[in-house]
Amino acid sequence: MSNFYAAMEIGTTRTVLAIGEEEVGGRLKITCHAEIPSTGVRKSQILDINQATSSIKSVLHAIEKKQSEAGSTITLGNAYLVVSGQHIKADPFQGMVPIEGAKVGPEELDAVFRSSRTMQIPKDREFLDIVDQDYEVDALRGITAPRGMSGRILKLNTLQIHADRNRIDNARTAADEAKLEIREPLFAATCAADAVLDEHEKRNGVLVLDIGGGSTGYAAYSDGHLVTTGVIGVGGDHITNDIAHAFQTTNAQAEQLKIESASAIIGRPGEPRVKVPGSSPLMETRTISRRALDTVVNARLRELLTVIRETLEDQDLFNRLHAGVVLTGGGAAMHDIDDLVKRELGMPVRTGKPIHVDGLDGEKFPASFAAVAGALMYASRTDEDRSILSGLIGRFFK
Amino acid sequence: MNDSSSMMLIGIGGGGSAIARGVRRAFGEGLRFLAIDTDAATAADCEDFLLLGGNRLSGRGSGGDIVAARLATEDSINSLDPKIEGVRLAIIVTSLGGGTGGGATLETVKRLDSLGIPSIVFATTPFTFEGEDRQRSARGVMAMIEEAAGATFFVPLDKIVGNAERLDDAMRRAVDTMASAVTLFWRLVEKPGYLRLDAERIRHLVSKAGRGRFAAVSSMGPDRARDISDMIARAPLLTTGSGPVRAILCGVLAGEDLRLSEISTISEGVRSAFGNQATTFELATVNDEDTFSGRISVVLLLFEANAKDDYSEEKPAGVLGNKRKKRAAKPLGIGPQGRGRFNNAEPTIWNSEDLDIPTYLRRGISLDV
Repeated sequence: MSNFYAAMEIGTTRTVLAIGEEEVGGRLKITCHAEIPSTGVRKSQILDINQATSSIKSVLHAIEKKQSEAGSTITLGNAYLVVSGQHIKADPFQGMVPIEGAKVGPEELDAVFRSSRTMQIPKDREFLDIVDQDYEVDALRGITAPRGMSGRILKLNTLQIHADRNRIDNARTAADEAKLEIREPLFAATCAADAVLDEHEKRNGVLVLDIGGGSTGYAAYSDGHLVTTGVIGVGGDHITNDIAHAFQTTNAQAEQLKIESASAIIGRPGEPRVKVPGSSPLMETRTISRRALDTVVNARLRELLTVIRETLEDQDLFNRLHAGVVLTGGGAAMHDIDDLVKRELGMPVRTGKPIHVDGLDGEKFPASFAAVAGALMYASRTDEDRSILSGLIGRFFK
Repeated sequence: MNDSSSMMLIGIGGGGSAIARGVRRAFGEGLRFLAIDTDAATAADCEDFLLLGGNRLSGRGSGGDIVAARLATEDSINSLDPKIEGVRLAIIVTSLGGGTGGGATLETVKRLDSLGIPSIVFATTPFTFEGEDRQRSARGVMAMIEEAAGATFFVPLDKIVGNAERLDDAMRRAVDTMASAVTLFWRLVEKPGYLRLDAERIRHLVSKAGRGRFAAVSSMGPDRARDISDMIARAPLLTTGSGPVRAILCGVLAGEDLRLSEISTISEGVRSAFGNQATTFELATVNDEDTFSGRISVVLLLFEANAKDDYSEEKPAGVLGNKRKKRAAKPLGIGPQGRGRFNNAEPTIWNSEDLDIPTYLRRGISLDV
């Protein structure tokens, strides 16, 4: 039997659950996935556990139905949890050991690895990931393979990604209530990056922008490793809110305008007026200026890109991103956002379809599944016993 | 400090630059002047010029499009910094309602504010006949300019053209009125007088003054002081405000023949017309025989009681290259309005701005809905 993994994302606008299966040759394929609108979540944070539980139950039910239709009988007892939100931070930390025998050997490599895992964080924080960046031997930096090198001190640079423990626990509680065990929380932006980037891009310098409903994660790579990552608490919901405020619409109307009519670029050709259907049968359809609509969207996205740009410039990283920008998440589906990013950041841009995971060919917008695809890759890579199949508390799909 | 270099006159857009050129001509040498526009033709009569959005608009102007002007300003605003080096107070003249004045003024004022440079904004607002769209555009940006500027003087064009019958006469009169008021204000600061009001004092007074009204009047003859008192009491631009006057700045400019009794007459006239509730009354005089021989000119600035905080706290001087830290020290400019569905969510704060509030609102972007 093949190995199966599950990953779930409780997002601001939707809850997604995907099951991945290792195919012959080890490549991963998403064999079943489902998504339903989220409730009780704002800006990537759960505000109502009951509603979040209900969303998880609904998406489990949707998966169950699909699996049943496909004749599958596997048991799903746990899943990796993909998380985002501006509570997630990444801090650099350096492991450091003396080189006893004048040359770096296995003992030094093991010791510096253990040293790099000793960073202390407050009790209300929880590690999501520790990413190794590069080694240093004395004054020599940017080393990828230090074994055999001479020197006095060996250092390992890492990026320590951590999150608010209570917020992760809220998601665990909601999942527990839905009879789904959370295996590990994983960071959405780096998961998405793993799914959509190739090694060539990581070496040349690339930025992944994972634009979700409530927040936007970013992950920048250079010289083959992650150099910075984080979350800005602005996402597609902000565009919706701006539209609703500007044109006095309901959120549902604003969401529809954003998806169907709005453009990230002002002045694109098209009908000058956009229809806004009445919010109830008693309300008449009206029209608004397409240019005004695009102006609202453009202002929000330009501001988000300015925040990203200044964040990277503050770390002297902006000019190292020679391979450009890759957009993932539901926000990447915004009309003309690639043109705007290209114009504002002055870099080549592409939409990030997962390239290391199969099974999304029929999807209208595969980039919105990048984070869960990356989480499944992580599961495949690291899960030793791969035991979500049997003997666990779970549900039966017939 | 050298006053002539610490104050700068900035004309924004075609209308603002025309007013600024008028001031420059009337004042003569020693006035530091920068014109800012999307139209390269404006550069012709200006010593120093900043073209906005050269790549975007190719120097052909915004065509009356506020959005295009705002985007052009965002493209080019970094180029403002070297041109304002050493400036501690900016006097901005502009015309709101459409085009570059409407789109570029706010971004310029915000940039100055982020550098710790207070600005005094003299802005005309559209004629009534220009329509509600332009009026609404002007109103939308006025509130945001007030947030970032030290003092603001918004002048409805209807109020300053008087009984002019032809449009070109009306526009000329508007430009002349604004230019003469700003010129007198400039002379008040730059020229020596017995009751001196220098640029640093002005800077202190206006750094948080808020919305105000102004008038400039002149008279000659034996009853010139009494005439001026009467004109001030009837001046249409001084009756446009909605709140009681909290502070008064009164500048009297005359030749060597200015008598003490005339200063008293003018001062008492101003106080009786506007000063009942004013807590601050600043009087300054300039004696310039060459310019004002036989004549008295008065420039009067009134600040309303709903203006910004008290005058006591002065902003730090600007330091180029440290903009983000300066912005971080600024209080939030807008309240919870517009947070909508994020009302109960943890706010996203960036450079002291609440990013949950719609961007177009915080940036004062007018929407032609």
